[in-house]
Amino acid sequence: MAAAALKGQLNTLLSSMFSEGLVDEQFQQLRMLQEDGAPGFVAEVVTLFCDDADRIIAEIANLLEQPVVDFDKVDGSVHQLKGSSASVGAQKVKLSCMQFRQFYEAKSKDGCLMALSVVRNAFYEMRSNFQTMLQLEQQIQAYDP
Amino acid sequence: MRPEEMRGVAARGRDQFPVGMRVLAVDDDPVCLKVLETLLRRCQYHVTATNQAVIALRMLRENRDMFDLVISDVHMPDMDGFKLLELVGLEMDLPVIMLSGNGETKTVMKGITHGACDYLLKPVRIEELRNIWQHVVRRKFSTPDYVNLDTYEECNKPPNADSGYVYSQVTCGSPDQNGRPNKKRKDYHSEEEGEDEESNGQDDDDPSAPKRPRVVWSVELHRKFVAAVNHLGIDKAVPKRILELMNVEKLTRENVASHLQKYRLYLRRLSAVASQQAGIVASLGGKDHFLRMGAFEGLQGYQAFTSPTALPSFSAHGLLNSPRNNQTALVIQGLASSRSIQTASGSSTTNHSIVDANKYHLSLRGNQQGNLAQGLVTSLGPAQLQQKFINEETGDLSTILSVNGQANGTPGIFQSVTSSPLLPQDLVEFTQGKVDIQPSIRAPSVRLEHLEGAVGASSGLLESRVSQQCATPLSGYSASRLLTNSSFNNNGATRLCGTTSSAVARDTNVGASSFGGPSPSDTNQKYLNFGSGNSFRQKINERSGDSLLDPKLVWSSSQLTSNFGLGAYHSMSQRTNNDSINSSHCARMTGQTSASAPVVVPQTKLDALFSEDLQMPRNASDLSIPRLQSELSSSTCSFDGLLNSIIKVEKDDISFGDDLGCDFYSLSACI
Repeated sequence: MAAAALKGQLNTLLSSMFSEGLVDEQFQQLRMLQEDGAPGFVAEVVTLFCDDADRIIAEIANLLEQPVVDFDKVDGSVHQLKGSSASVGAQKVKLSCMQFRQFYEAKSKDGCLMALSVVRNAFYEMRSNFQTMLQLEQQIQAYDP
Repeated sequence: MRPEEMRGVAARGRDQFPVGMRVLAVDDDPVCLKVLETLLRRCQYHVTATNQAVIALRMLRENRDMFDLVISDVHMPDMDGFKLLELVGLEMDLPVIMLSGNGETKTVMKGITHGACDYLLKPVRIEELRNIWQHVVRRKFSTPDYVNLDTYEECNKPPNADSGYVYSQVTCGSPDQNGRPNKKRKDYHSEEEGEDEESNGQDDDDPSAPKRPRVVWSVELHRKFVAAVNHLGIDKAVPKRILELMNVEKLTRENVASHLQKYRLYLRRLSAVASQQAGIVASLGGKDHFLRMGAFEGLQGYQAFTSPTALPSFSAHGLLNSPRNNQTALVIQGLASSRSIQTASGSSTTNHSIVDANKYHLSLRGNQQGNLAQGLVTSLGPAQLQQKFINEETGDLSTILSVNGQANGTPGIFQSVTSSPLLPQDLVEFTQGKVDIQPSIRAPSVRLEHLEGAVGASSGLLESRVSQQCATPLSGYSASRLLTNSSFNNNGATRLCGTTSSAVARDTNVGASSFGGPSPSDTNQKYLNFGSGNSFRQKINERSGDSLLDPKLVWSSSQLTSNFGLGAYHSMSQRTNNDSINSSHCARMTGQTSASAPVVVPQTKLDALFSEDLQMPRNASDLSIPRLQSELSSSTCSFDGLLNSIIKVEKDDISFGDDLGCDFYSLSACI
């Protein structure tokens, strides 16, 4: 069955996301919530997260481009990203946000730029995994009316 | 489907609480909000979600009865979560839970000082949310606190000239030692009538009269208000003066008065959250002893009075200043022969960055013939907060007990000072209390030749040590927390053992190590185990010192043995800057009672507490039971009133026990 194969793929993907530290227990909890009767919930949250994080990262990049960097604002944005990644269980993004902190606290623009790229990479990795996951889920759903 | 379903559940009735509890969730982050909302729904709450604090505030203002609880993010662009929290705290009586990804102590502290009843960290877990209904319940329970002001009045009703100074100090506990009790009483009285009017005597301004031109207290306006209040001092702040200081057009005195009232309530709630007080003074004495005290006259010996105290100066800088005074008093009254006994109990000093050190003295003098009084000390436990709450305060608990008297011809001076430092993580104001307990008691008893206990407790930063040296196997205890144990053994017609034990354990198994006994405590690390258990078992004429010497019992129990009357007088006092509310809890015991209690029992059973209430004598003053309950239930994050109240009026041989060991957490959950 194609559906079974897809499910297997999805499960492999999910477990690799977990084992690689991309996501943490929070994400698993969200999935469990979904299984308990909130269909589409994870997809919704994940989509929200991807959009939101993308926006925030762009915002931070913009802030860091200013001649005079407002580190407080950077702080706020990174913080928000951290909160949102924590909520969705995107552990790697969250950790990269936490590392970001030392740089804006030190008011180091270069450090921030570096940290931002780390955050961005983590996010891209996360997003591509999420996207794959969502696609798989959609396909599974298509088989499973 | 789900929301309707939820609504249906909510409509079906509130009896299935917490199902259908109405929660307002506020978070600007759509991801967090979505997750939070879903989690809350999963807990079967009825959730309203918004991503703007301003909208949330508007909803709250428009439908203030529509919500039971607010969960708010801290960082929000339109309005700081703390502001929302503060405004909600001021304008409506709703519990607010803060939510943040930032778990820094400072931030958490700020949340708590602004009145948050809880502070959750992102990502929030469903396990935490399943429990949040407790805040709603707690809030409801704690409301009757204000009623307790009555007790205050009751306590003071007979202003006995003899003892006026005593109770004015005990119950008023005004920061200035020479405080004028009458003035204080007046303040309380007026406060009881209308929180806002105090000495201003504005009788026409009934706080319950609802309709005044509505003033929206903007953040700015409120800030001015707070500044004015702080400038004047919270208890001296009267609407008129505040109004002058604020200098805002169109604001009327009534507006200010009303706001001041809310602000006071707000402060009080804060302190209910912040203060964990367990202050107990137990003094045992003959009946006339109590009569002597005047304050308790006519109350049949049992009173409980608790009220959360307003924080002294709650100001924008966000420090939580919550002085907590835990009082322990040991009163030892004349033994066997006529003796003059002087007891000074409860000297508690709080060092506070803002608040003056408070001194608290109780002096009792009595000459009693043949009547024994025993000191029962109960313990105060610096009830511990979760890590979140830890940073409060300082309780300096001191008990000074001095007995100038002779016990069987042996002059004994019993002095115990206890200090209970809390465990602070961070910006705690610490009690710089140095505490000495130096009981020097010589009491040849049947089995003990000598009991000399010297207990020294010094609380420094995180350490307090208590050591006790006895001629018996008990020696050299040291506890990293407050422990006071005073034992007084007298083989006269009376035997008195006053044992205070208060154990706070955090992180480590302090109980076991410090008690040196097989104390069953502290299985839950990092929770405070606060045990102040009293289990009064009847031991008639038990004079043997073995229970006293049993480390476990000694350290973890209160023992009383009396052939005569036992009275337990508990007083708890909390104090604020200028505003002090004192509570006294008075219990009397008569009969031969020996009490011993294992201290720390990791799990608290609320039932036990209440069943304890039920065991109160019926003829205790009618105040007692409701009061105690409210006291118990009002302890929000604390053991405010976890007093082992021991009540027994009759001379019957009644034994009852309560185990009040608590894991803090579970207690708060229960309450």
